[in-house]
Amino acid sequence: MSDSIIALDGERANMAGLRALATGAAANVVVIAALVLLPLFVTGSWSYALGLCFANSIGVLSVSALVRYGGEVSIGHSFFAAIGAYSVAIIEARLGLPLLVSLPVAVIAGVLFGILFAWPSRRISGIYLAVSTMALALALPEIIISGDRWTGGFEGLYVSKPVIPGIAIELQRYYVPLAALAAVVYVLSRLRQSRQGRALLLARSHPAAADAFGTRRSWARVSIMGISGGIAAVSGAMLAFASSAVSPTGYTFWSSVFLLVGSVVSFYGLSLTRALIGGAFLTLAPQLLSGSGAWIPVFYGLALIAVVLSGHFAPKLAAMATQRRGKR
Amino acid sequence: MDQRTRALRGENIALSFGGIKVLRGLSVEFCAGEVTGLIGPNGAGKTSLFNCLTGAYQPQGGSITFDGRPLDGLSPASRASRGVVRSFQTVALCPDLTVVENVMMGLARNYHAGWLDALLPLSRGRRETGEMQNAAVEALASLGLADARDLFPQQLPPGMQRLVEIARAIVGKPSVLLLDEPAAGLNNAETRDLTQTLRRIASPDLVMVIVEHDMDLVMSLCDRIYVINFGEVVTCGPPEAVRRNENVVSIYLGSDDD
Amino acid sequence: MNSVPDLLLDLFPLIWSGVVTGCLYALGALGLVMIFKSSRVVNFSHGNVAGLAAFLIYGFSSGVLLSLSWGVAVLLAVVAVVAVAFLSYAIIAPIMAESDLTATITTLGIGLIAQGVTLLVFGADIVPLDLPLPRFSATTLGLRITGYDLTVLTVAVVTIVGLFLIIDYSKLGVAFRAISANPVAAEICGLNLRSVHLFAWIVSAVLGVVGALLIVPTTFLSATTVATFMLQAFAAAVLGGFASLPGALVGGILIGILMNLFTFYVSPEFTNTFLLIVILTALNIFPNGIFAKAGGNRV
Repeated sequence: MSDSIIALDGERANMAGLRALATGAAANVVVIAALVLLPLFVTGSWSYALGLCFANSIGVLSVSALVRYGGEVSIGHSFFAAIGAYSVAIIEARLGLPLLVSLPVAVIAGVLFGILFAWPSRRISGIYLAVSTMALALALPEIIISGDRWTGGFEGLYVSKPVIPGIAIELQRYYVPLAALAAVVYVLSRLRQSRQGRALLLARSHPAAADAFGTRRSWARVSIMGISGGIAAVSGAMLAFASSAVSPTGYTFWSSVFLLVGSVVSFYGLSLTRALIGGAFLTLAPQLLSGSGAWIPVFYGLALIAVVLSGHFAPKLAAMATQRRGKR
Repeated sequence: MDQRTRALRGENIALSFGGIKVLRGLSVEFCAGEVTGLIGPNGAGKTSLFNCLTGAYQPQGGSITFDGRPLDGLSPASRASRGVVRSFQTVALCPDLTVVENVMMGLARNYHAGWLDALLPLSRGRRETGEMQNAAVEALASLGLADARDLFPQQLPPGMQRLVEIARAIVGKPSVLLLDEPAAGLNNAETRDLTQTLRRIASPDLVMVIVEHDMDLVMSLCDRIYVINFGEVVTCGPPEAVRRNENVVSIYLGSDDD
Repeated sequence: MNSVPDLLLDLFPLIWSGVVTGCLYALGALGLVMIFKSSRVVNFSHGNVAGLAAFLIYGFSSGVLLSLSWGVAVLLAVVAVVAVAFLSYAIIAPIMAESDLTATITTLGIGLIAQGVTLLVFGADIVPLDLPLPRFSATTLGLRITGYDLTVLTVAVVTIVGLFLIIDYSKLGVAFRAISANPVAAEICGLNLRSVHLFAWIVSAVLGVVGALLIVPTTFLSATTVATFMLQAFAAAVLGGFASLPGALVGGILIGILMNLFTFYVSPEFTNTFLLIVILTALNIFPNGIFAKAGGNRV
């Protein structure tokens, strides 16, 4: 499989190295501090939108993590997000338990479904895997709708229980997704520093070498799909909580494609700011284009193509520019 | 041959792709404490033999044993856990990992901290990473690469990338070290340094096998040399004997251009 | 005693109509395979562009945009789709050389735009699109064969035979085969990769229009109909190994029959889930398609 999907040399040099980590951590602290204070200054509708934005950022991270650590592209991640969202909604509807209880269940379910999907397809990769994730996303709505006794069918379910009773629910719909986003970014930074994370990266770039040093390809595939599925489930759980409802229209094939678009426009980045860029793209573009929903796919399509083309041509243009400077 | 010596043995290994016979019932024995060279023209089957030994290919016939225990049917990963380690013809370092992190991969098979240790700030994971890092730095230092530890592989010249690969291979204290053309792409000075390094790595407990086109390196480093052509062993012996062998001379005169 | 003829009475019509729709899936699958074979890119925009074409025919012939005769509308739609194919290839060509996976992602962008344009121009409503078909219906052996069935079969057979003849005998077709077998060698031999890629994209687009036109009478035309139909085409292509034109044809017919049997005997609500299972099974058990010879598979 071709590796150049992640040919971002500049960022590679940034990714590790203690100094880069330290500045990255400092930047994260600043961004999080700003986001923590933000609700004091913006209106309720904005803090609502930002809550969704954080949830979408987590979804974007789940796709980016798969690209970075697995070298694979998914256009079916709304499936795993739906697993998380419906876990939360069903646990609240059936058992009356809040997010605090249902979130761990959602994560475990997401990981399990990620593994369940990855295990039979552990030998297929690249576009073949992309096609099967597409089928996954397309099969999802009919599964949700036909399970209407549990899922509420077309209508969906409401999610209204607060995490901490007594605090305004509007604030919780902002801060809980923010905390989840921070946690996911942290976990991903831990992954980069772990033996498993290194093994995944080696398995992506040189599967035979990873094999020769004790990392099985099937282990790598199943692991990263489990992680990615778990993160997607967190994103779904947060979407359900922040928007106070789940319904099948939120988890279609196109929402999966949008997650990939978010991941591409954030250059598959796993940092907090990158994730926020991707999430904002998915959340705020529909807000701004709310006058005409049909412009959204056009806008996303153009953005996707623009980013891919600029990723392709920017290094060449930069090389040309330096060459010209050299001549002078 | 003394049966008590630890050795990697392949007997009657047969491998074919489609109808093409790559290895035709070839038998080899690589002993601990020796450096064995594997030479022959391009396409003779040297790398295929390596791939059979490490488990990347499953040969159709024959058996492979290490220290008397069969390796047949084991995956590359489980052979690695028994100490059979290799380097690759083309540099196979991960561009996303720093040099020291790449070398740490050579230890991965010895560590077993779980996913929770990986993803949460638990002491076991941190201790493990620390241990691996120390060992990797030590291995790098022994090859004179201590300064490169935090660079990325693509920032190093090809010769040093090779050395990083060798550091990754030796850091886990392997019992069998298979080197596939370690001098490919290196200049003369780099090759000389590599020869020195490999001589230092050789130890009484280590089975070391080298596939190489650079005859000076092979002749000066190896205790024993196998000559392979058309998937069969042409001859085997100490460097001087091989150098004088008429068959070998004709093989190499016939394909002098590589 | 009675159950056997009953079963056959159900089975025959199911298989017959499965073959008919299967031919359409095959047309879609052939388009996907053409592009994949020549350039290793999976064209996810295939369904959306074909859907847009169906809407254009409706728009040109119904008075929404223009009131032209049906034939002229089809011609115009084909021209539009060929232009889209040109444009798509122009966008993707530079990326393709770098990474086929990135190029595949880019086709999603094109699909998004096609989908958005369809929604912008024609809205999200369902519209009727009829074919000028011979009104005909006959019953033989318990089978009801309609003019639609025969039209589909005729058009599909003519298109597919035509395509295979072009690939077997025309200069471009020979180049196409050479490039799909070994792109590097073919390019060294002086074959023009670009013209072959363009050939594949354009043929694929036209096949998509034909498939979309013929599938619409069985359902209605909405912004999602044709895109959904393309899942079947994907399943057909996967079943045939994704890189084999005859495979795509047989895969399409097989999917048509299997879908009919599944909807009738098991459940009409889980068709996509069924296709998901078919795709996963096919990819894992027959990674090179159900007709590939068993043997050396070095992935």
